[in-house]
Parts: sequence; C-alpha cells; structure tokens
Amino acid sequence: METVYIILITTFKTLIYFGILMLHVAYATYAERKVIGHIQLRLGPMLVGPHGLLQPIADVVKLIFKEDIIPTKVDKAIFRIAPLISLTAALSTFAVIPVNKNWVISDINVGLLYVIGIAGIGTYGIIFSGWSSNSKYAFLGSLRSAAQMISYEVALGLSLVGVILMAESFNLTEIVNKQGEYWYGMFLFPQIIGYFVFVVAMLAETNRLPFDLPEAETELVAGYFVEYSGIRFSLFYLAEYLAMFCMSALATICFWGGWTIPPVLLKALPALGLIPGIVWFLLKVYFHIFLFFWLRGTLPRYRYDQLMAIGWKVLIPLALFNILVTSIFKYYL
Amino acid sequence: MKLREIINKIFLIEIFKGLFLTLRMLFSKPVTIQYPLQRRKIYPGFRGRHALVRDPFTGNEKCIGCMRCTSVCPSRCIYIKREKTENKMIVTDYVIDASRCIFCAYCVEACPVCALVLTEDFEYSDYMRKNLIFNKEQLLKNWDEFASKWPYDVYFNKFWQPPGIDPSRWPKTKREQKPIPIKRFVEIKKEESDESSS
Repeated sequence: METVYIILITTFKTLIYFGILMLHVAYATYAERKVIGHIQLRLGPMLVGPHGLLQPIADVVKLIFKEDIIPTKVDKAIFRIAPLISLTAALSTFAVIPVNKNWVISDINVGLLYVIGIAGIGTYGIIFSGWSSNSKYAFLGSLRSAAQMISYEVALGLSLVGVILMAESFNLTEIVNKQGEYWYGMFLFPQIIGYFVFVVAMLAETNRLPFDLPEAETELVAGYFVEYSGIRFSLFYLAEYLAMFCMSALATICFWGGWTIPPVLLKALPALGLIPGIVWFLLKVYFHIFLFFWLRGTLPRYRYDQLMAIGWKVLIPLALFNILVTSIFKYYL
Repeated sequence: MKLREIINKIFLIEIFKGLFLTLRMLFSKPVTIQYPLQRRKIYPGFRGRHALVRDPFTGNEKCIGCMRCTSVCPSRCIYIKREKTENKMIVTDYVIDASRCIFCAYCVEACPVCALVLTEDFEYSDYMRKNLIFNKEQLLKNWDEFASKWPYDVYFNKFWQPPGIDPSRWPKTKREQKPIPIKRFVEIKKEESDESSS
C-alpha cells in the first residue's frame, strides 16, 4: 500500500513538473526572440496575440503538423530514437532539482552526481542523430559536438567540486541548506571562480552561443540535426531549452542559494520572508535564462580550436585551482 | 600599460563592456515599423511601379515613341512598338518588363516629354512573372491607380528634371513641362463620361 501511494504521488508530481516545464520551455523561446529582438532594436514576434504572446503555441501547432521527413538511407531505428534520448536525458535531470523547501520529486543523496551524469547522456542523442543521419555534415557536427560536450563536462564537474567541498554533501537540498548558514547565504562569493567556470561550461554544455558549434549554421549547415524535420527537429530544440533550464536551476541551487535569500537581507527586511521560496528560485533561474539570451545577443561564435583551448587550457586549470584553494581554506578554517 | 592589459584580460573587461552595450540597447526604443499596420513616409523621388502618364487633356499617353528610354535603359527592359504616319509617330505598344528593371529611373530622366514615371506605388508583387510585364494598357492603368491615390492637385516627378544638367540643354518640351493636374484630369474624365451618357 505504501509503495503504491509513493508511486501515485510521484507520478502526480512528475506530471505537474512536466506541465510547468513545458510551459516554461515554450515561453523561453518567446522570451529569447523578444530579448534578442530588443537587443538588436527590433520588436520580435508581435502579431499572434497581444505582443505576440500566443506565438509559442502557434509554433508548436506548426511543428506538429509539419511533414516529418525520414531520409531513405538513414538508420531508421536510431534516427527515431536519437531525439528521444536527448529529450529524456534533459527531462530526467529535473527529478532531483528542488524548487522549494521539500518540493522535489526525488530527494536522493547523490543528486549532483545524478544531474551531471544524466546531462552527459544527452551526448548520446547527438552522436546517434549524427551517425544515423548518414550525412557528412550531420556526422561532423555530432562529432565536434561530442568533443565539446565531453571537454566541457570535465570543467563543469570540477567547478562543482568546490561547492561539494563547501557543502560536504552531494544532496542538492543539503547544498542549499548549507548556504543558509553563512550570513551572505550564497556560495557565489567564496566560489566566484567556480561560478565563472560553471557559467562558461554551462553555455558550452547546452550548445548555446558563443559555444554553439554543433549547430553552426554558416559552417556546417546546421550540425547534427540537418536531416531532421518537423516535430523530431523540435524535440532537439526542446532538449536544448530543457538543458538550459536544468543548468540554470543547478547554478541557482549551487551558487545562488536556491529558494533562500541571504539571511542579512531577511534580517533587515523581515517582510521578505512572507514571499514563498519558489518565487526567489524562479527569479534566480530567470536571471540565468536571461544571461543565456543576453550572451547570445552579445558575443560572436568561437572558432573550434579556440573553444577547445578555452576548455582545456583555461577552464579546467581554473577549476582545479579553485578546488585547491577551497580545500586549503576548508582544512585550515 | 602592460599590467592594465593583463587585468583587462583576466576580468574580461571587453566582454563586460559589450554586455553593457547590449543591455543598454535592450532598453532603447526599437526602430521597427510594423509594416502592414503602420507605414513609413515615402520620400519624394521614390522609384516604384512604372506608369505611363495619361495626358489629362487628351486622355491618351504622352509618349511620342522617340525610343530614348529604350536606348538609355541599362537592363534593356523597355520594348516599344511604333508606327509612322505622315507627320506623327504612333506608339502601338509600350512594354516594360518590371522583373528585369533595376529602377535606375534613367528612362524617366531621358524622356523628353515627361511621359514615363516611376510611381510611389510599391505593393505590386505577384505570383505570376507575366503579370509583371506591363504593356501599354497596364501602364496607363497603373497611372490611373496612382493618380487616384495622389493627395495633391498636381504631380511632378523629381526625375523629370534631372539635376546636374544645365536646363538650357533640356529639350524644349521638357523645359516647358508643367506639373500634371490630377484633380482637373479627374473632372475632365467625369465631364466626358457625363457627355457620352447624356
């Protein structure tokens, strides 16, 4: 009876999370077009609904009814599975991400490891799609994407080691609670190097500009998903946006104190305590999402060797240095 | 200076400068014009759809078939069919292939009688290429359409008197050219139709 209850409540929670996530993803595409439009002194979508607010829904309808073309010489089974692997990997990460006190689908003790591990599975989707497409461009795109994601995953993992050392736990809820013990309530200030490495690696991990080499339209028609069309193509985009939200949530939890606000601020203005934690959490996540768009609107794409050089020669040494400094401080203080 | 460069590099000063530039742009006013809803003002001398000016007094085209527009046209998109009578040239057909036209307005400048005009009408896209090849009737119709929308009483094209050439070198007809009365032309047409009906 107990097990059935747990299964039911988890399914219910998952469905709610799924619905909210999909809504967020749909409107992230809208927000991206609007933000980049305004950065370039344009308006972005304006015609569907007031200020183009129904544009994401129109896009979804369009993509569903578009013709789904599967080229003749592709490996059909893997071609069909690839976007689903990317999407499932991106969705699964949200199982352990706490959005408020005790608001989490599954509160496991190796949450951080789980997120990093599952995020790595997304690479399979990219390699599969590139290989099964039976196209040079898709294959080259998927290869360099795989190289990029693996290189940057090292930096991403190492940048989080500092946080793990500070929190003495892999549990994401535990990490947030630990941050509340400091008066500034965030790991952002002692872990600023780690945060910097994390942000850069997060951009590269999610294939966003300035590291969007897998889909470099001008060089490699579109990278690993050239042969995809219609809803299958949009599943890759869905996975990308989900990964963006996942990474933003991770940055929020590990460096920005999750759903809490700095205890100093709370002491100065006790009224802030009345606002539910999820509002702070979402605000911090939205800031990171905005950061993604903002960086996209500002920076040009890196060259491939520059990208690799930054990953291996700058970010990984920086992350290792951060681990060293954090460990020394942790040991002596 | 060297130290400053190193500091700039470590703290990514240039990237932050760029980020603040884009952030400033984010809050400035967009320059977009929502086209079908709001339109921008068309400047004088805009080169749009071709038209043959209908003489407000006779109701026919003003073209005299001198072929100057054909010879000056860089893309060679003007074809004129003409017949010679005892003392007058009659233009039987006048074709402009708008899909080949480069809108340089040389034909308008070259025309000695100011018979040709590139109107301010720019919404004339079509699905069929042959609809963009205007014959004489279509060109006159283009003028009628344009004239009916023209808000002023008279029309005078900017390119009818090309700047930079001494006016004494213009043909006499061009020197004496007056703005074309629009409203009067409409009235004349109305009177004619009234007479013919009565």
